[in-house]
Amino acid sequence: MIELRDVTKIYPGQTVPAVKDLTLKIEEGETCVFVGPSGCGKSTILRMINRMIEQTSGTILINNKDIRETDPDRLRMGIGYVIQQIGLLPHRTIAENIAIVPRLYGWDKERIRKRVDELLELVGLDPDETRAKYPAQLSGGQMQRVGVARAMAADPPIMLMDEPFGAVDPIVRGHLQDEFLKLQREMKKTICFVTHDINEAIKMGDKIAIFEKGQLVQHGTPQEILSNPKNEFVRTFIGYDRVVKMLTLFQVRSITKKNSYSIIRENELANIRQKMDDEQSTVCILMNESTRPCGLITRDDLEKAGEVGPEKIKEIACSRKDAFIDGDLLLNDALSLMLEWNCDCLGVLDGAELIGVISLNDIRECVRRKEGA
Amino acid sequence: MSNLLKYMVENASIILDYASTHFSLIFSAVAISLVLWIPLGILISRNERLASIVLGIANTIFCIPSLALFSVFVTIPFLGLGRPSSLLALVLYAMMPMVINVYQGIKVVDKSVIEAAKGMGMNSRRILREIQLPLAAPVMFAGIRITVVMATGIAAIAAYIGERNLGRLITEGLTRYHVEMILSGAILIALIAILFDNVLGAVERMLVPKGLKVSRSK
Repeated sequence: MIELRDVTKIYPGQTVPAVKDLTLKIEEGETCVFVGPSGCGKSTILRMINRMIEQTSGTILINNKDIRETDPDRLRMGIGYVIQQIGLLPHRTIAENIAIVPRLYGWDKERIRKRVDELLELVGLDPDETRAKYPAQLSGGQMQRVGVARAMAADPPIMLMDEPFGAVDPIVRGHLQDEFLKLQREMKKTICFVTHDINEAIKMGDKIAIFEKGQLVQHGTPQEILSNPKNEFVRTFIGYDRVVKMLTLFQVRSITKKNSYSIIRENELANIRQKMDDEQSTVCILMNESTRPCGLITRDDLEKAGEVGPEKIKEIACSRKDAFIDGDLLLNDALSLMLEWNCDCLGVLDGAELIGVISLNDIRECVRRKEGA
Repeated sequence: MSNLLKYMVENASIILDYASTHFSLIFSAVAISLVLWIPLGILISRNERLASIVLGIANTIFCIPSLALFSVFVTIPFLGLGRPSSLLALVLYAMMPMVINVYQGIKVVDKSVIEAAKGMGMNSRRILREIQLPLAAPVMFAGIRITVVMATGIAAIAAYIGERNLGRLITEGLTRYHVEMILSGAILIALIAILFDNVLGAVERMLVPKGLKVSRSK
């Protein structure tokens, strides 16, 4: 657990504090994202936690122990540190780079070798291929991975990450974020994560702390912050798409309805109205011979179409053969697909198997609940 | 040409004698310089105020013409003619190329590498030994290379204040207008400088850490 009490930092020769009266608690196993515009003091806070910068006043505690009581080098050895520029030693191989902290701890060679391979695998790099390479031989994304592996080398309970995925293109960044989230679910480390990107904050954070000009403006879960921005600054920082951003917090699976739809085969299409009435459903999924969903049609569609034969119904349903979404995806993805297919309803899949449906109304309901209205 | 060779063969023993004095002056000057200026360069890389003072002094000394500096030292009682004055002058001239290259070499090491290393708990001695010095080695060595070549040349001028080295062939040759004598001195000194430069250049290339020579394309 990391606790900051009334921490203030004034850089020499400046009158305005870079960080002012900050009190903040980061619970064990929690990822807390510090977010805010450039110069808001978020990096300064991070660097005070491992004593790269000394606070002007106030106390910082790690597991209830004042960090000033620990020798700075010792302290830092026990805290993983990842920076945007990564800072791999260019004259050392990848294996040697990852081994830095274990070597400081004096591990024996065999133990270090095993740990390096384990870590390379963990961050998705092939040990045999990567271990003997030099940093200059890796791509930006690979270097970021090595940076993360290096910080985790001695399995520190705390990690400080200063825009760790900032220097790679958006696609690679997305991958790295996903993979890191997966790792973190198992590792349960206490993480302080700095970013200026609110989307990254929402995605990575258990808690988000928003800073403006050295002061903590709002601290809470992504949902709390998105549904209840404290002031105009937070609202602006989040952006006009605040509610859509909130949708990114929920998986489609979480609001999927498992039994409010009908399933129909091609040869039953003539009776579709009767079947939907009997089952009191508003949407019907068309299945092909191998029981794969291949189309979707709603009651509205049927009414709009009027009295038409099974051929026409099939045509409408099949025009939406892609109106299906994986349950692991997020509500904003679902919303986007609904707009794309001009359809209030999507089938929800788990792999290739149909597990339910999700409607625009469900999303609306979900937002209304979360907004507390 | 044949006269020149004839002169050199006939005076081989004295030329060898001069050459060995020349070498010994260069070696002692470079050795003392290494011991003094490398640590000083490292020291000022950690203190900007000290750095500007030291680099200022080194630059100023470097501006003084060598003949002038030699002559001034001769007038100082405990230095006098010969080895002590020449050695001191050479060591002082070496200050500029050596200190500045050590300082620059350390300074140009990527800040984020140092930041990351420090953040992982490496202490400053370890950072110096394992990161800054290896990465600065090529630049530092370039300074040593310049120093050696420069010392070879300036050492010749020390012949004016009593050093019995290859420079003497030139000074004496000039007073006597002995062409072969002048040429053999000049050629030998130049050859020695070129030889040193090439050998040290090869060593310098070896000093570049392997990680800096590779790239993704390989």
